[in-house]
Amino acid sequence: MLKEELLIVEDLWKFIDGKPVLKGITFDVSRGETKVILGPSGAGKSTLLRCINLLVVPDRGRIIFDGEDVLKRRDIHNVRSKMGFVFQHFNLFSHMTALENVMLGLVKVKKMPKHEAEKKAKEALMAVGIAEELWNRYPAQLSGGQQQRVAIARALAMEPKLILFDEPTSALDPELIWEVLNVMERLAKAKMTMIVVTHEIGFAMRVASEVMFLDDGMILERGPPEQVILNPCNERVKRFMDRMKYVYSLDTG
Amino acid sequence: MISELLYVSLKYGLLLLEGLRTTFIITIASYAIGFAGGLCIAIARVFFHKILKVFAGVYVELFRGTPMLVQLFFVYYALPEIGIRVDPVTASIIAIGLNSAAYQAEYIRSALSSIPYSEIEAAYSLGLTKLNILIYIMLPQAIRIAIPTLTNEAIYLFKYSSIAYFVTASELMYVGKLIATRTFLYVEVYVLLALLYILFSIVLSEIARYIERKLQIPGYVT
Repeated sequence: MLKEELLIVEDLWKFIDGKPVLKGITFDVSRGETKVILGPSGAGKSTLLRCINLLVVPDRGRIIFDGEDVLKRRDIHNVRSKMGFVFQHFNLFSHMTALENVMLGLVKVKKMPKHEAEKKAKEALMAVGIAEELWNRYPAQLSGGQQQRVAIARALAMEPKLILFDEPTSALDPELIWEVLNVMERLAKAKMTMIVVTHEIGFAMRVASEVMFLDDGMILERGPPEQVILNPCNERVKRFMDRMKYVYSLDTG
Repeated sequence: MISELLYVSLKYGLLLLEGLRTTFIITIASYAIGFAGGLCIAIARVFFHKILKVFAGVYVELFRGTPMLVQLFFVYYALPEIGIRVDPVTASIIAIGLNSAAYQAEYIRSALSSIPYSEIEAAYSLGLTKLNILIYIMLPQAIRIAIPTLTNEAIYLFKYSSIAYFVTASELMYVGKLIATRTFLYVEVYVLLALLYILFSIVLSEIARYIERKLQIPGYVT
């Protein structure tokens, strides 16, 4: 039987140059849930995401993913292949076309035959609204929004159980932000399990099943978006949200 | 001058071509050794753990820090002392190749380290192994970046293969000297040699430019 929690993070600590960046983070993510992490720059949000798929190795704590203790696995690349990661700056492979970017993981990690991988990659690209005429373009020939959608397709094609988004729209202009958020919202509706680090509180209001506010390596507040974004209890969170509401003109008062 | 040039070309053309052939053999073989060696050293320096890194570092410093001629003499004169006897052309190929490996290693290493970590991180996040990342993400980009300097090295080797002259390998320079002493047309013969070196250097750089264009990533400005 599948347990409800896909991911359990317990007392996670990370020190960088002797300074604690994460101070005992504990939370869990259920299957099909969209968890949104808000917080100021330098709060440890990116580090937290990178610890979950061990791009950064935490110093203490436990990460249970799909019933397995991730930190005890020696074949970490197998665990990573089950978690997608979408980066702020897209991080597409610049010497490969959009299609090749999506195919690489399928062929080299999932050992799929080429033609099968190609079919699957094309499906993934279609799913994020990248039309056929763009498949053979190189990243430098695509707009930021297109690049980020290719990056999402690259993660999706691997059929991950969880996708981690690290400020996926922070490098995009508003029109392109819409493109990307739209794709993410559809993923959430399709019950993809996601952890999203973002400043898009509008997106969080619509999509998040739970919002966590992270500052100084700690979770200051967590709960449904209406609570954390509109009526936070914590003073620090309140100050942050007031400013966010001003920036995004979302003062519902 | 012109008539003497023609005279030398006609009378000794075949001999010069043979010299040119040997020059090419030395250049191509030592470049190949240098590239293969350089690639391994560069990968060791960027990618592997301490001991290998130290070995690779020592190799580079040793071969960059001593004159190529000394290295050539060492291969040709010192190796026979321990029972390894090699002919002049082979000795030249080994010495120049080992020397070039040190330089090519540095060119490839700097290209490897200029690849943005963000792409490597993305590759890790897909579940690729370190080796696969090296093969499919890092090397294809590093080689593209390194092409101009690697071309430089090829042209350099083509000209400096002439030091094989000192161990009597019958390459272009050696043949030229032979013809010059036979005909006493020193200036004309060396002008002819210079023209040949220039001609093929230009051919080499044109070939490299062609390869560079072929491999260029569309829309990508470096």
